[in-house]
Amino acid sequence: MKFSRRDLLIGTAGVTAGIVFTPVPWKLLGDVSIWSQNWSWIPQPAHGPVETTLSPCTLCAAGCGMRVRMAAGFPVGISGVANHPLTKGALCTLGYAAHQLNWHPARLLRVRHSGRASSWPEAQAAFAAACAEGPIAVMDGRPGRAASVALETFAAKHNGSYQTVPGPETQALAPYAAWSGVPASTLGYDLENARTIVSFGAPLLDGWGTPGRFTRLWSARAAGQSDPQLRLIQIEPVLSHTAARAWRWLAVREGTQGALAAALARVLVEEHLVKAQGPLPEMTLEQAAVQAGLPIAEIRDLAHAMVEHGPTVVITSDGDPAVAALNVLLGAVGTPGGIILKSKVIPRHGAASTAPAKFRATVIDASVPWDLIPPAQGEVFRFATWDGGDSKADWLLPSPGFLEELTDIPTAPTSATETYAIATDLLAQPQETQTAAQFLRKIDASLPDVDKSIHARCEQIFQARLGTIYAGQSKPVAQFESAAKLEEQLRKGGVWLSEPPRNATLHCALKIWPAAAATAPAAPTDWTSTWAPPVLPPLAAKLYQESTVREAPARRLA
Amino acid sequence: MSARYGMVIDLDRCTGCGACMIACASENNVPPAAPRATWRTGITPMLVHTLSNGKEGVDRREAFIPIACMQCEHETPCVSVCPQQAVELDKSTGIVMQMPQRCLGCRYCMTACPYHARYFNWWDPQWPPGMEHSLNPGVSVRMRGVVEKCNMCHARYHDALQKAAAAGKKKIDLADYVPACVEACPTGAIAFGNLADPNDPVTMAAKSPDAFRLLESIGTEPKIHYKTTQAWIRALADRNSGRPTEAQHV
Repeated sequence: MKFSRRDLLIGTAGVTAGIVFTPVPWKLLGDVSIWSQNWSWIPQPAHGPVETTLSPCTLCAAGCGMRVRMAAGFPVGISGVANHPLTKGALCTLGYAAHQLNWHPARLLRVRHSGRASSWPEAQAAFAAACAEGPIAVMDGRPGRAASVALETFAAKHNGSYQTVPGPETQALAPYAAWSGVPASTLGYDLENARTIVSFGAPLLDGWGTPGRFTRLWSARAAGQSDPQLRLIQIEPVLSHTAARAWRWLAVREGTQGALAAALARVLVEEHLVKAQGPLPEMTLEQAAVQAGLPIAEIRDLAHAMVEHGPTVVITSDGDPAVAALNVLLGAVGTPGGIILKSKVIPRHGAASTAPAKFRATVIDASVPWDLIPPAQGEVFRFATWDGGDSKADWLLPSPGFLEELTDIPTAPTSATETYAIATDLLAQPQETQTAAQFLRKIDASLPDVDKSIHARCEQIFQARLGTIYAGQSKPVAQFESAAKLEEQLRKGGVWLSEPPRNATLHCALKIWPAAAATAPAAPTDWTSTWAPPVLPPLAAKLYQESTVREAPARRLA
Repeated sequence: MSARYGMVIDLDRCTGCGACMIACASENNVPPAAPRATWRTGITPMLVHTLSNGKEGVDRREAFIPIACMQCEHETPCVSVCPQQAVELDKSTGIVMQMPQRCLGCRYCMTACPYHARYFNWWDPQWPPGMEHSLNPGVSVRMRGVVEKCNMCHARYHDALQKAAAAGKKKIDLADYVPACVEACPTGAIAFGNLADPNDPVTMAAKSPDAFRLLESIGTEPKIHYKTTQAWIRALADRNSGRPTEAQHV
């Protein structure tokens, strides 16, 4: 049979048409699509065994309960613990991307001295020399931890000074501590029993305190209700996210919150809205109203709103005593729904340190946020996980990152109940890093070890037989067979809660109306105000760059 | 009976914190913003907008509205325009599935979407060195040139299916399937459930007088419902726009 050109064309056309009806071209198309999505430069997730573990968050003092999803030994996802007694399943916005922080470009992994690369032996030698020459100051941003015991002991043994650097939430409680004579660390907010909360600029719905505690409370008792069980009155110059969702928002003039507090005090006392007869501010109602930029009728209305739906508590974003004094007039100090004494505190072992006037060097623990570092004396040895620049320290010493060290989390500043949790090192500590406690132990090997201090704390809790351990479900401490079993539960992500808050009267010796803070504090309405690291997870750009829901934060971003 | 997964978002509870956006991006391996990315060119399968009553000063009121793919049930616009069959309405779940492997990047679907809930990958996905260790192994990374959107955390749905299969069940337990945004919302503003189940609390919430859907008049039957008691927010929604016209996106 002769094979003609026509046959060739027919055959080619037939084969071409036939192929369309086979899976071949479609399979090829699919393969090309898949292949073209797997370029070598496209990052691929690491695959390996997936497991979920519980841990408290260590990024700020709140210690929120986290569920950490690990794959191939790395954390790949973070979520809240649904029934966690403190956080009720919520985390702060940035916490959901916290597991990315260890790879942040600003991660500090090399020792630096005066802006130049250095080494741990050089830092050790410089610090040993400083110790030999004079007293040392040690700054701790989160006192009460096991690591704090080592820092405190070192300062005491070396004629130094152990100094704590309080965060804004602790500072806000400082006036009550000064007036009542109890430490600020023993005070907390009884939010659960309050029916009206007057916030002077505190970002209550935006990361304040233990995020989740208030947001869940507000959601259940206030959100969407025209006459809510819990009234949130927000006083601040701008319409922040908290102000936008508050029952009422008062736009006070910037820096005049003290004046508004004085005006409110005048109305509360002069119109006999409270039992207290004073003290009264020198400023008249008219003068204060002019300063605050609010009509007198509105101030009067606010004062009435503060008392008509009690208990009422005033929360400040800072420690402005003039605003804090409102709580004294309202009788909100030492009463349910106000500022209360935390539940029974189990005293922690510590060592008293002296306070010399001058220091040869200062050690700043990584727990002190970069934004809060006070002026330090002498040669400054700054421990940090993320690089905050060389301007505040002579030595920059890399610290373990998120979930890279064994640490414990004592009670959060705003909490009404004493708590304790342990965060284990889910990730191996990088060899380039040391904690301040590890560093100091190389100078003085007799310092208490963090592991042993945690064990001692668990033993204290076990011996006290107070409260419950929550690890999926609550179990009274009294039902634990041993301290070791209790510690085991805590190391698995459990949290200890002491007994409910004490119903104890606090007498505040407030004879004269306190002056307002000398300088207007920076309004902490920034959504990162409670975020301790100097950097944000890269995914945070979703909020301020790829959307307009947030302003870009006024902090250094890498 | 097949499920119809949907959400009811309570706008009165939304504080605009953005936790849903971050949790979504983390769960679905969405890369951090490229240097030139904006709210229109970035990738935010869940995007929170700010609404206002249009007034200034002390009379101003603001609220927040999270917008994701509305999972349109009827004549799904993106499905009907896709030349590649890269978008499908999953009949068993009601989820509008986007398959980036098939996507040619023509962006017809983005044009067709009345809710602006679809995003194009304008840049190669990039993370800082080493951060790829933090990627979710259950979700593949999309490349430059394809469209993506919310798929209701489909990897979590698969996990729930596997768990059900391992237990010898044919249906998933809804407690095992919770999208990341729902899980992350600190005020519980986002509720997720099966709208095909009349007894599901989400179905009941979707039928409450306070509930509404965006652009209901175009008849695409979205499965994302909203809820508010605030008259001004409702008036804004009823004014027809699918887009938050009073939003700050100008």
